[in-house]
Amino acid sequence: MIRFRKTESDNGEHAILENLGALYGFAMSLTRNPTDAEDLVQEACLRAIKGLIQNGIKSDPKVWLFTILRNVWINQWRRRTNGPEFILLGKSRADGGPLQEWLSDERERPEDHFDRNVVSGKIRLAISGLPEVFREVVVLRYFEGFSYRQIASILGCPAGTVMSRLNRARAELRTILNEKNTALMVLRRKLGSG
Amino acid sequence: MEVDKHILDYIPLYLDDELQEGERLAVEMHVKGCPDCRAALDAERELISAIRNARPIYKTPASLQANIAKVVQTSGSRHNLVSSWPLIAACAVLLLAIAVFWLAASTSLRGDPSSFVTVAVNNHARYLNGQLPLEVFSDSPEKISAWFAGKLGFNLKLPDYPQGPKPYHVEGARLVGFQDDYAAYVVYRLNGHPISLLVTSDSVARPSGGEEIPWEGLRFHFQSVAGWKVLTWSDDGLTYALVSNLEERGQASCIVCHQDERVFRGLQPSQKSM
Repeated sequence: MIRFRKTESDNGEHAILENLGALYGFAMSLTRNPTDAEDLVQEACLRAIKGLIQNGIKSDPKVWLFTILRNVWINQWRRRTNGPEFILLGKSRADGGPLQEWLSDERERPEDHFDRNVVSGKIRLAISGLPEVFREVVVLRYFEGFSYRQIASILGCPAGTVMSRLNRARAELRTILNEKNTALMVLRRKLGSG
Repeated sequence: MEVDKHILDYIPLYLDDELQEGERLAVEMHVKGCPDCRAALDAERELISAIRNARPIYKTPASLQANIAKVVQTSGSRHNLVSSWPLIAACAVLLLAIAVFWLAASTSLRGDPSSFVTVAVNNHARYLNGQLPLEVFSDSPEKISAWFAGKLGFNLKLPDYPQGPKPYHVEGARLVGFQDDYAAYVVYRLNGHPISLLVTSDSVARPSGGEEIPWEGLRFHFQSVAGWKVLTWSDDGLTYALVSNLEERGQASCIVCHQDERVFRGLQPSQKSM
């Protein structure tokens, strides 16, 4: 099929390059492994370019890209498990991959930011332990800044479901953070006495 | 107490900026006079802030960046080469090829004065008479596309010749009126022959009349108006009209210069069917 080229294609290609870092971050939260994340982003971008040529973009470019990446991830997961997947809402997935890569980032860790980094590490650990359905809404809302409606579009579910999943995720994280406060006090005491 | 519980349900939505203006004001008014809900709001805000601060920062692998950039670039080139340029080339070849047949048939179709075809022909004639000065002069389709950006109710990117010396050149462009809105008017010159391209949204103009020529999933309409050869078609939300007065010898030159035998072969069935 021949087609005149419209700026929509340019916008789509630009959106892919512009959101590559965000896509990689989301892929890391799903796969929790740099190699798998890279493969996932690459596959998603190839699908996006193919879709761009055939159909153009029908929604917000970032939402569109994240939707594609998540769909690719689900398809890969289904292929691996060779059957339908049943996600337990109350349990975290035990075989979600190595956590260490996802938990550590490349931020500088100066001494005066010690507390904040400890807290952030705790939160990342807590998020990584959430069931996938909760983890992904937290990542999409608070790490990527999507609205409930945009998240609903990415996940293919009602906005009310997004809201209830976020509520449950926050409740679990709140519990973990309360435990963190106690642990920090102990840590400070140890450092002070050392 | 019941009101407090209601407000507590709204606090996450308030912090996530998911409330309507009236609901936001209701939450703000309530927490001003309710220390318990104020404390709940502060605690929730602190939690959300802590979650946001915990966002991992990754450096996208250089290999990934390089691979995607390469794929995007290849896609763009392929798009230009396979998707965009052949359409212009096809239209030019179609115009040339059909001209012989059409002159022999000596059929003259006159369009509605307000139709897209008539406007395209009038603009072409006015341009040749010096009555339609161009607003931008450039041989660069990219620069002309940039000039149109934001001026039209639709997006338009003119295709560029993929590589090597161009067999044609772009003279320039301007906005022209059509159906209470602007349309894009671009002038090309091929072997000395001026070709006008008029583009508008397909919501205000659809090709019709003349002879319908299906080719590669598109339906071209060819007609002769006041001696000008006009080819119109719609594709991907836009409607196009090419107007020219091409000579027979231009056909061979066109094919040689465009270096795209696929286009010419693709046109053969259409030409035979005429």
